[in-house]
Amino acid sequence: MKPSIDKGSLALGTYVYAVLAFIVIPLVIVIPMSFGQNDYLEFPPKGFTLRWYAEYFSSRQWWSATSLSVEVAFLTAICASVIGTAATYAMVRGRGRLATLFQILLIGPIIVPHIALAVGLYLFFQTIGLSGTVPGFVLAHTVLALPFVVFTTTAALGKVDASLEAAAMSCGASRFSAFRLVTLPLILPNVVSGALFAFIISFDEPVVSFFLSGVRYKTLPRRMFEDIEQNLTPIIPAIATLLIVLSIVVLLGAHLMRSRTKN
Amino acid sequence: MAMNREQTAGASIRISRLEKRFGNVSAVDGVDIDISAGEFLALLGPSGSGKTTILMSLAGFEFPTAGNIVIGSEDLTYVPANKRNLGMVFQNYTLFPHMSILDNVAFPLKMRGVAKPERYARAEEALATVRLAGYGERFSSQLSGGQQQRVALARAIVYRPRVLLMDEPLSALDKNLREDMQLEIKRLHAELGITVIFVTHDQSEALTMADRVAVLKDGRIQQIGPSRELYERPANLFTAGFIGEMNFIGVTVESVGEAIAVSLPSGEHWNVPSTSAVDPLQAGQKAVLAVRPERLQIGGEGAAFAFHVKLADIVYAGSALLLIGHLPDGTEIRARLPGASDLSTLTPGATAVFSVPKEAILLYAGGAK
Amino acid sequence: MTSGIRSQFWHSDGRRLSGLSTLLLLLPFFAIIAFVFVYPIGQLLWISFTEPKPTLDNYARVVTNPVYARVLLRTLWTAVLVTGLCVILGFPVAYYMSRARAAVAAFVGVCVILPLWSSVLVRTAAWSFLLQRQGLVNSGLMATGITSEPLKLLYTQSAVVVAMAHVLLPFMILPIFGALRSIPDDYMRAAAVLGAPRFRTFLEVILPLSLPGIASGSLLVFLTALGFFITPALLGSPQELMIATLVSQQIREVLDWPFASALVGVLTLFVTLLALIFSKTLRFDRLMGAQ
Ligand SMILES: Nc1ncnc2c1ncn2[C@@H]1O[C@H](COP(=O)(O)OP(=O)(O)OP(=O)(O)O)[C@@H](O)[C@H]1O
Ligand SMILES: [Mg+2]
Repeated sequence: MKPSIDKGSLALGTYVYAVLAFIVIPLVIVIPMSFGQNDYLEFPPKGFTLRWYAEYFSSRQWWSATSLSVEVAFLTAICASVIGTAATYAMVRGRGRLATLFQILLIGPIIVPHIALAVGLYLFFQTIGLSGTVPGFVLAHTVLALPFVVFTTTAALGKVDASLEAAAMSCGASRFSAFRLVTLPLILPNVVSGALFAFIISFDEPVVSFFLSGVRYKTLPRRMFEDIEQNLTPIIPAIATLLIVLSIVVLLGAHLMRSRTKN
Repeated sequence: MAMNREQTAGASIRISRLEKRFGNVSAVDGVDIDISAGEFLALLGPSGSGKTTILMSLAGFEFPTAGNIVIGSEDLTYVPANKRNLGMVFQNYTLFPHMSILDNVAFPLKMRGVAKPERYARAEEALATVRLAGYGERFSSQLSGGQQQRVALARAIVYRPRVLLMDEPLSALDKNLREDMQLEIKRLHAELGITVIFVTHDQSEALTMADRVAVLKDGRIQQIGPSRELYERPANLFTAGFIGEMNFIGVTVESVGEAIAVSLPSGEHWNVPSTSAVDPLQAGQKAVLAVRPERLQIGGEGAAFAFHVKLADIVYAGSALLLIGHLPDGTEIRARLPGASDLSTLTPGATAVFSVPKEAILLYAGGAK
Repeated sequence: MTSGIRSQFWHSDGRRLSGLSTLLLLLPFFAIIAFVFVYPIGQLLWISFTEPKPTLDNYARVVTNPVYARVLLRTLWTAVLVTGLCVILGFPVAYYMSRARAAVAAFVGVCVILPLWSSVLVRTAAWSFLLQRQGLVNSGLMATGITSEPLKLLYTQSAVVVAMAHVLLPFMILPIFGALRSIPDDYMRAAAVLGAPRFRTFLEVILPLSLPGIASGSLLVFLTALGFFITPALLGSPQELMIATLVSQQIREVLDWPFASALVGVLTLFVTLLALIFSKTLRFDRLMGAQ
């Protein structure tokens, strides 16, 4: 006589899927709500309309917020991956004299609450006129994204044998072309995923943007914040749906890229 | 299940028609083994032959697809692992890293509700049995591999199980330690009278340690018997090739009667005693003649069982001399001679004559590979 | 000796970069961190100790004024609740994921990680739909007859705790999963064969061995929760501020910079201190995408 499924695993399974529902439902619920006809949010939504999407795409304010966020995120991705990769390369291939200082400064932006940095930058950028400007946002977001770029590239660079570059240099390559022709191609997938990380971190970043946004220049998260705070209309679920679709597309793209480079 | 502390002797085990399938892979395919109380059985076989799966079914970590397992007089086929009261030693020690050595050894007693003072007293005693008295305060990270495996052994016997299962317990150790531990396990087996099932892929380990060895391939038992029998008279070509070194010569059976007449690729005709045939043979069929390299003797032209081999290589290996040669059909022949043999007349390229004592000849049905 | 060091500074040896190139490569990193991180935070701390005159008064106000002391306590308590909730919700998921078949584990993993890739604002907004008067939670409660009229769920501290737990749950699950995954299966087998029933195996072997993961996840969630801004700002009650929302109010409405700086100082110093004390427990390289 074989034993049947025991009650313990059944209870655990039930609990786990309930928690997963708790995680996933709030993300999924916004999708049907973005198609509701009424001006206010209700569940279940009544009717079906694409009006909120149309409104988002035709609104000047939403568009300018979105394009500002995209611009900032794009520049942040470039700055963070260049600065981060250079620093990682120096730490991994250098003589490690500044390691402790580097570690501390790297971890600082993760540990120190974003509200503290936001307030500090609010004060500082106002005095030097960077508040509410693209360079201001990019600088702030680059600091927040750097640690993640460094983590992803350190992992890759550690696995690349230093003697590969030595071999390239013994064939006559300069240090820089050895890096560009040998090491960079090997760590490129991680550099790209670090840049992707930086893009997402910047694009989604609400706290620092909240304080740095001026009256004219508002990032998308800051616009959304105001909309949620003041009048919850189905335009928020519509944007949320677009963002979710975007992040799924990016995730899938990253996954495909990784499996392509593996083969 | 009642636990009788006084009953330290081993239990008998009967595995019948055991089958285990993973999807469409048949890991164990109809295995029958009867193990008597106190016996030391080794499971030997190439990788993927189902040794671990049999042990896992015995321990209760895998429930078989069919068949049953009886230990002592109880059918344990579907009893959960923690209620089987068996001892088990794993390949990688598996000492709990967050407990001291003493707590590790006392763990099974704790699970059995033994009071603290007695628990620790018995754990100390078990540590002494594996000659690690006084190591109780340490943690596993402070012990060598061999010591850790001895602790694992102590932990597996402290509650006096009647059966001890071991899955390649020595393969993580280096050669010298492995030999020490082999002796240690033999000694414990003799002292406790416990039934031991020992999985290994090291044939010399199996042959030296076990009372009987079961050879497995593709989830089936190929042969089960005492070491000597396995080595001297393998039941089939697989076992013959798997255990030790063997020369296989493709022959043709010419007639079968009082003796079996075969013709060798090198042109000789032998009248082999019929007791040499492991499989029944018929005149005209192809057969394989098997003989161990160390049973070949140099010289003996004109003897009943002599043949000519063209030498390719002579390798001096200290205690032995290895001669490698070929028959006209390309069959490789190896001979191991005592290191002191005088071979001054032989050089690579020369033709040598080897002779074989008649009891060293085995005949199997089938073609040579 | 000195010539050796000097030549190391100018020349690379094929494997190691020269000191000069190391410095040049690190310069942008140090510059931006100094300019955009160290300086602004330092300036705030400076203000908090020196304005209007060199003083500790700003800090004294934070601690002694009962209104603000209550904000501090509420912040601490909320972070504790969020951490506890994350452990209770997260541990079983991590455990299940670590023991499941590969395909199931991958599915659970995607469910756990997906929220990390969607913005905190989206998740917070979702909670405000769910918790409003006509929201899904209220309709559910009324449909099942638990209440007869809609409850006030939004703009309460419970809403903040639940939504923050939702946002931070992945940071609890991932480190615990990491710890559980590194326990070899043979440990569970060994415990079982030695006579431990499943629950004892869990208690005596799995739980102790997963403690580092639980500690690291808890610390991560706790420290992040202390400084949370968006969720309390959108879902909490204006009468029940947390430290980050109080800072925002002081700056944007009261314009009291010295006091706001002291609040930031308290928060930053406390968090940094904890992070230093427990730096062994926190595995920084495991953090991916925070706040
Ligand atoms: N959990 C499993 N799922 C699927 N197939 C399995 C599983 N466990 C074992 N198998 C398959 O069953 C067969 C027997 O495996 P088993 O581990 O018993 O071999 P083994 O004799 O112990 O080999 P080794 O010497 O490598 O340890 C193999 O083909 C293996 O791939
Ligand atoms: Mg095995």
